[in-house]
Amino acid sequence: MTSTLRLLSALLAGTAAIAATPALAADPIKIGVVTPLSGTYAGIGQQVRWGLELAATEVNAAGGIMGRPVELSFEDEEANPSVAVQKAEKLFQVNKVDFLTGTVNSGSTLAVGQLAERAGKLIATTVSFADSITADKCSPNVFRVNARAGQQSAALASWLAKEKPQAKVFYLGPDYEMGRSTVAAFRSNVDRVGGSSLGEVFAPLDSKDYTQYFGQIRATRPQVLYTSVAGTDTVRLFTQLQEFGLLGNITVLGASGTVTAQNIGAIGKAADGFVTGVGYSAEIATPENKRFVEAFKAAAKTDPDLYGADSYGLIFAYKAAVEKAGSTDTDKVREALRGLTWKTPQGEKTLRAGDHQAEQTMYVVRVAGGQFKIVSEIPGPDAIGADTCTKF
Amino acid sequence: MAVLDYLQFVLAPQMVTGLALGVAVVLVALGLTIIFGLLDVINMSHGEFYALGAFVALALGSIGLPFWLLLILVPLALLPIGYMVERGLIQRVFHGGDRHVTTLLLTFGLGLVIEDVLKLAFGPNPHRPETPISGGVELLGVFVPNYRLFLIIAGAVVIAAVAAVVYRTRLGAMVRAAAYDRHMAASLGVPVKQVYAGAFAFGVALAGLAGVLLAPIYSVFPTMGRDFILLAFTVVIVGGMGSIAGAVVAGLFLTQVQAIASLYISPVWTDPIVFGIMVVMLMVRPQGLFGRLGHA
Amino acid sequence: MREPAPTETPAPARDPLTTAMRASHVLAGVLVVGALAFAAFGAAVGDTFYLRLATEALIFAGLALAVDILLGYTGLLSLGQALYFGLGAYVSALTLMAVPSFWAAFGAALLAGTVVGLVGGVIANRVRGVYFALITFGMAQVVGKVVYNTRALGASDGLIGVPVVDIGFGPWSFSSASPAGLFLFVLGYVMVLYAVAAYILDTPLGRLLIAMRANEGRVAFLGYRPVTARLIAYVIAAVVASLSGALYPMLRGFVSPELLFFTTSGNAVITVITGGAGTLVGALYGSLLLTVIKSYVGSWTEHHLIVIGLLFMAVVIFLPRGLIGLVRPKIERMLSRERKP
Repeated sequence: MTSTLRLLSALLAGTAAIAATPALAADPIKIGVVTPLSGTYAGIGQQVRWGLELAATEVNAAGGIMGRPVELSFEDEEANPSVAVQKAEKLFQVNKVDFLTGTVNSGSTLAVGQLAERAGKLIATTVSFADSITADKCSPNVFRVNARAGQQSAALASWLAKEKPQAKVFYLGPDYEMGRSTVAAFRSNVDRVGGSSLGEVFAPLDSKDYTQYFGQIRATRPQVLYTSVAGTDTVRLFTQLQEFGLLGNITVLGASGTVTAQNIGAIGKAADGFVTGVGYSAEIATPENKRFVEAFKAAAKTDPDLYGADSYGLIFAYKAAVEKAGSTDTDKVREALRGLTWKTPQGEKTLRAGDHQAEQTMYVVRVAGGQFKIVSEIPGPDAIGADTCTKF
Repeated sequence: MAVLDYLQFVLAPQMVTGLALGVAVVLVALGLTIIFGLLDVINMSHGEFYALGAFVALALGSIGLPFWLLLILVPLALLPIGYMVERGLIQRVFHGGDRHVTTLLLTFGLGLVIEDVLKLAFGPNPHRPETPISGGVELLGVFVPNYRLFLIIAGAVVIAAVAAVVYRTRLGAMVRAAAYDRHMAASLGVPVKQVYAGAFAFGVALAGLAGVLLAPIYSVFPTMGRDFILLAFTVVIVGGMGSIAGAVVAGLFLTQVQAIASLYISPVWTDPIVFGIMVVMLMVRPQGLFGRLGHA
Repeated sequence: MREPAPTETPAPARDPLTTAMRASHVLAGVLVVGALAFAAFGAAVGDTFYLRLATEALIFAGLALAVDILLGYTGLLSLGQALYFGLGAYVSALTLMAVPSFWAAFGAALLAGTVVGLVGGVIANRVRGVYFALITFGMAQVVGKVVYNTRALGASDGLIGVPVVDIGFGPWSFSSASPAGLFLFVLGYVMVLYAVAAYILDTPLGRLLIAMRANEGRVAFLGYRPVTARLIAYVIAAVVASLSGALYPMLRGFVSPELLFFTTSGNAVITVITGGAGTLVGALYGSLLLTVIKSYVGSWTEHHLIVIGLLFMAVVIFLPRGLIGLVRPKIERMLSRERKP
């Protein structure tokens, strides 16, 4: 009985707070953020947080969205879809957020997207790579402002075709939606540019020991190893590859998030020679980006990576959409977001109306001497790929 | 030529990697099996003591103590903790109705608390201590990282030392006597209570030592005990609950199965295989490959 | 703990066991009244989150009930009951995605729970005591890892896109997306599972199980086959867990392999022990209590595991009948007093 009473009182407290505040013009616009604050992807969540907070500070300093300040509420996703769904439900139902973002794990984005559909809210991911989010598993309530696996792979494959044609490639991805999607996307690109695929293995997220996966790599003797592990997983994979003397004769390519400003320090020399296709680099030499990098560094004491930049950019997309719609109403904002073109640190992005995927310029970035260097640039329309979403 | 090349470059490195993992698992399983063999207690918090050892090493290492000293200091630090847990907690329910179940539950609860305390004290994120010895050597054309080689040798020494203590010393004889028949041992003047608490503390200290040795390879984080302990439990069950020889044989065998199978199938599928072996073993021979401590 | 049967009671008196179960039923009644009040209040203020949280607590109470059927009545600790909970959840999810009908999912989970329960029971009942705990743990690990690795079952991501269904009884039906409706339905469903479990354990079979717990060797001399009785208890526990799991995808709209993992099994064990093993109703209260601790303590610190772990250890040491053991004897005394002339 006491447990029921306590639940009741919790309920009372929650609802009383909501009932007591009538909607005012200066009411904040609430944006929920479900992002990993602990675990393998904590570093990614940290970039997401810095990017969103910087954007919110700037928007609020300039008068907010339609005169209403932006308020962010954070919850730890733990890179786990079941946790993400519960935290998102709390933000939607208890905190009554108007919009939600931050999910990193592609499985989390898909699961939270389904929840958003049922709750009649909109979400956007600024991180998840899995193509399915804006393809066969697309949702009218889900937007993606970052580059998906296909876009990254198209960029990386253009480099491969030029530098290592006919390369023999082995793939090692994290064992979940994102890993399988990135490997499949790059594999089809390798086949397209004339390379050959030797085999693929998938290691669970948060693996501590990758050495048992090395046997198949050794057996097939690849010239190129493609990997899409991320966060602290990359640190362990690269140091173990180096420890076992495998980095000497293999070129390592990877997904956008594999090596970033967040983990390159911990990887150290093992990161040298790594190449990736990515939608953002702190090296982009436009005045907008230089201003952004400076502001980001002042706030976070580190360089932004793709996650920080894409999350920062999202707030401005939402701002533009709400102002165009004249309200935070789900249907109106959705209409405003579809086809929206807005300015971000990395240049203009456009949200494709057909599948809610952002089209953006892609870059090939190579690590040399612990520094990221932009090697080449691929125009947005060449990288985005076909719209295969049939749900709306 | 191709065969030799396959052996040197593919099979042998995989087996060496498996051996390093095997020795690591045996180290953890050793404490588990001694505690079961003597006290009839399935120590569900064993994985958390392994994590505790790694964190104590991390904390002491951060104030500048060298790794080599930690190999001795950390197990010593865990001894009194293990002793107090046995006297203060396990003994409270030891003589109650169903000893197996209540001690299993109690240590399960203790594991949750230790894990959360570690999270509270050190945060949820992994820490990666520097590898004490870097680089690698070539043995018969097989490249082996130095630290893994050290782990294999050090682990073998520890395992041999534990076996020597249990089977060759007067202390070990008392432990085995107490395991075989506690009343008989007591009447012969063996301080059974101290032997019980001491054996538990010894098992916990071994888990802590494993934590120190494995931290540079597997990183240090509060839930580090969870995955590893599942494999250690499997090893103890297959080898025979309470058997030291069984833990060594089963530990090395199961990790070689994993390592070699990983060449041909996706390594993630080796988990169900190993757990499947455990279930089959429990069905056909629940006492495991070898008899238990004091009985063989 | 239990009051001896009063001497003045007429001959066909309720024995202590019946009185104890009746005390459990009183507590179950109190729980239902409290839950109805909670639902009315939640619906009145338009709450969604807490109603759905409480619904989840009830679903996991069903899993704990299954653990209690085994632990409380046969003395066997299952460390892998999540196997059947996850089985029910996956079977239900797959059925709902093919045929969006509650009854189809219910039937599929019932069938799967029975069949797999029979197979698992034959395997697990080969061993006794602590080896039973280990073999149930091992079986759940094997199945959990296989599901985790199988792409057709969504592998590590699980399955999303389980549709919202209408749950109907003749002319009356409601949507599984309605928080109050689903809560009331799950409440009724779990109480039916509770009643069925309580009824079966009051039959000769149940008495036999309890007798076996006291002395298995002697039961065989009475002409019963302990193996069959244990297998039946195991299958009942499997079916109860499977039917509880079947509700999960209706609430959350997805299933994930964590539902089969040791964390889920372990939580159910904590729930039963904390609530009170062998009382059945303890599983229900335990689950609600744990959910409250998680969300209440969890709202001001991440570290609710310390609280739960310490509470659990204290119960293991000091309260062999769990928290219900603090309350139930008082009710038993009241019930016996009523019967006195």
